[in-house]
Amino acid sequence: MANDNEIIDNIANKEYEFGFVTDIEMDVAPAGLNEDTIRYISAKKNEPEWLLEWRLKGLQSFGKQKLPEWQNFELPAIDFQKISYYAAPKSKKKYDSLDQVDPELLATFEKLGIPLNEQKALAGVAVDVVFDSVSVATTYKEKLKELGIIFCSFGEAVREHPELVKKYVGSVVPHSDNIFAALNAAAFSDGSFVYIPKGVRCPMELSTYFRINTENTGQFERTLIIADEGSYVSYLEGCTAPMRDENQLHAAVVELIALENAEIKYSTVQNWYPGDKDGKGGIYNFVTKRGICKGANSKISWTQVETGSAITWKYPSVILQGDNTTGEFYSVAVTKNKQIADTGTKMYHIGKNSRSRIISKGISAGQGQNSYRGLVQIGSKADDARNFTQCDSLLIGDRCGAHTFPYIESKNNTAMVEHEATTSKIGEDQIFYLNQRGIDSEKAVALIINGYAKEVLNQLPMEFAVEAQKLLSITLEGSVG
Amino acid sequence: MTSQQDIPLFEEVVNEFDQRAGELSREESKGLRTARQAAFEKFRALGFPSIKHEDWKYTNINKFLKEEYALEAGKTATPAELLDRATIPGLDCYQIVLVNGVWDGQVIGGPLPKGIEILRVADAVRDSRFASYFEDAKWGNQHFANLNTALFTDGLFINLTGAVTEKPVHIAHLYVGDRNLMLQPRHMWVCKPNSELSIVETVVSQAGELKIWSNSLTDIIINRDARLDHVQIQEASSGLRMVNHTTVHQKKQSLYNNYTFTMPGAELVRNDLQARLEEDHTETHLYGLYLAAGSQLVDNHTLVDHQQPHCYSNELYKGVLLEQSTGVFNGKVYVHQDAQKTNAFQQNNNLVISKKATIDSKPELEIYADDVKCSHGSTVGQFSEEALFYLRARGLGEATAKALLINAFAFDVTEKLKNPAVENHVNQLISYHIPVNHA
Repeated sequence: MANDNEIIDNIANKEYEFGFVTDIEMDVAPAGLNEDTIRYISAKKNEPEWLLEWRLKGLQSFGKQKLPEWQNFELPAIDFQKISYYAAPKSKKKYDSLDQVDPELLATFEKLGIPLNEQKALAGVAVDVVFDSVSVATTYKEKLKELGIIFCSFGEAVREHPELVKKYVGSVVPHSDNIFAALNAAAFSDGSFVYIPKGVRCPMELSTYFRINTENTGQFERTLIIADEGSYVSYLEGCTAPMRDENQLHAAVVELIALENAEIKYSTVQNWYPGDKDGKGGIYNFVTKRGICKGANSKISWTQVETGSAITWKYPSVILQGDNTTGEFYSVAVTKNKQIADTGTKMYHIGKNSRSRIISKGISAGQGQNSYRGLVQIGSKADDARNFTQCDSLLIGDRCGAHTFPYIESKNNTAMVEHEATTSKIGEDQIFYLNQRGIDSEKAVALIINGYAKEVLNQLPMEFAVEAQKLLSITLEGSVG
Repeated sequence: MTSQQDIPLFEEVVNEFDQRAGELSREESKGLRTARQAAFEKFRALGFPSIKHEDWKYTNINKFLKEEYALEAGKTATPAELLDRATIPGLDCYQIVLVNGVWDGQVIGGPLPKGIEILRVADAVRDSRFASYFEDAKWGNQHFANLNTALFTDGLFINLTGAVTEKPVHIAHLYVGDRNLMLQPRHMWVCKPNSELSIVETVVSQAGELKIWSNSLTDIIINRDARLDHVQIQEASSGLRMVNHTTVHQKKQSLYNNYTFTMPGAELVRNDLQARLEEDHTETHLYGLYLAAGSQLVDNHTLVDHQQPHCYSNELYKGVLLEQSTGVFNGKVYVHQDAQKTNAFQQNNNLVISKKATIDSKPELEIYADDVKCSHGSTVGQFSEEALFYLRARGLGEATAKALLINAFAFDVTEKLKNPAVENHVNQLISYHIPVNHA
């Protein structure tokens, strides 16, 4: 029987499976961040004047802000001037069908197990592929068009629906929100834009695969999703990145806006390169994600499975502004080797009868450090607000850490807030029980972890749930079969 | 953010230290002087905390800092009714009365039995035993602990060598004055191996316009196999600002129980309770109950620092918030990498009665060992409608029913008290402070 230590060693020594570099010609901006770079990006993308202005405002607030110091890990020194802020594949023509897409690019996705040319078989998934900043292929667009749904790259939205972009961009995450959001506002490359018209239920899961490719290129996606009154959309975001020795900064911004009676479900599977077993070379994933339930009875749900990145640092949040609104946060975060995850959520209860539910499952192995940091804030007008929070941590190995920092602030006596957290290691009795039934320790650990994370995985759309389960298995390979 | 230059009190304490440094050097041992100097430098660099500091995020002391305070108490007569209020009816004890942190040397109900020795800190500063505890005392970035270390003059030095089990020691802290005061009482309690004691502290202050800021610090060392029961009942009048720091160092197989009760009154109550589990197989129970009313701010910061394996800690803090009061709870459990087989539990429940009351709760777990069982829970809520209906259906008025439910809520903490007289006293206080019309 493989004992626990061997399993732990296996986990710790497991190298990243998806590390490879696609060889496509790139159009790269010179490194450095200043007004010229911003103008260069803006000009490259033929952006209107107002957007350039907004970018410059972002640059200004970036200059004013300092790097935070409150986080529960040591922030590596980031030289913002060494990063190149723009990279786009050189062949920029649009494709009519998948056949015209660069075969090498298609091969990349195949290696990742994303059968882009089998999209039709994987019914119901339209993929807007962001390959280092610029969208090169969009599928199922026609079908969505019929319903009036807009699903395109951010750049395209700026060109074709400027009124919507102008109205909502920065309305949830202002350019001055935090230093990384400011950086994104100034230098965002591209991203996705979704608009669901009134009363429309989006018939398929919308999905974008992000992939960081060019060396020394920080990627600054900006996603904006607007669900108009009475609409529904489920959006998937999934990532893998090639192996790399230089740290790469990823500072994306995601803004969700749910109007009256609308519902947005946002799911993420994140598996960027976590660095080698000494923690060298992984991605820094510093993302600002926030949604607002603007209208009454609206709902926003975040689900995330975080297995990659050297440092994952993000708090997908919901502002519950309307009455009877609902915010949800489901998270599984796995850290191994020297990975760090400082993640959680913030729920701002402003509207009456607003409710929120937070389920966070952390798994730490090797020397991984996993922190849950969350805020539940009940405003004085949020009568009968309700929150339930559960955050559990599982420890595998005696050099890892699990930390919980929940903040509860209530200014209303009719509110009910519940928080509970537990930390423990995998039960030896559970492993023993499974061993007794002929299941080896490795598979037993896998079973236990899958069971542990099930509450969150169940929230994912079906196709994604399968991928996520596979990812958990690969991440904790050696223990998870 | 107010800079320290805008706080006259900062200027005042800095000058006070410089002035005293000359006088003290003749009397105090070198180790103590070095510790004071270091703490003072630290405080001078830190200043008073503001809400920008994570530990003071919810506790804004700005308005209290704007008032003027004298740093030394003059002689003032102690009103008899104050001692009455500090006394626990029916409690058979050795009573020690501290007026503004100074003990007159008298033991009511004494003499003290063999096995316990109590000295004034003003005398103990010349004692090498006392000074030895300052050798490796470090207060890090704790503003008020550094300030106290720099400026303290008096308090209680308790040396416990045997088991004193027949009666508890009752320490009555009385705060009186004819002008506004800032005081720095300092206590050091050392429990020798196998010793046992129960200490009950009560805090009261003179009613009226007078403002007294008490920045007290108690160091407790519980050596191998020693046991200490420690009850604190804080029932001061509105003019008192209490910053009350307690650090407990627990050695092998020791037991420490703390019960902290905060009643309405003092405008600012900040309790910093830190249990440092420095050797293995210790047991620690921290119980707290805070009833806040008026514009009171009650802040309980606890830390359970699991440094060694096989330690058990359990924490239960309950809060009832009335009127425009604010409650703050910050409970941190820190488990070091060596502290395998740690069991650490923590719970914080809050009952927000009034529309204008606020509660900020932050339970924290920081865990660096894997073979542990740790959990925390925190709730903010209201009376259960069903329970209220049940009582109403049986003919109780709404107010009476609510008062009864508050008592039941508090019971989880009060029932942990071992001495019936103390338990009875606490229950009396709860009934007194939650009059029927409150609820």
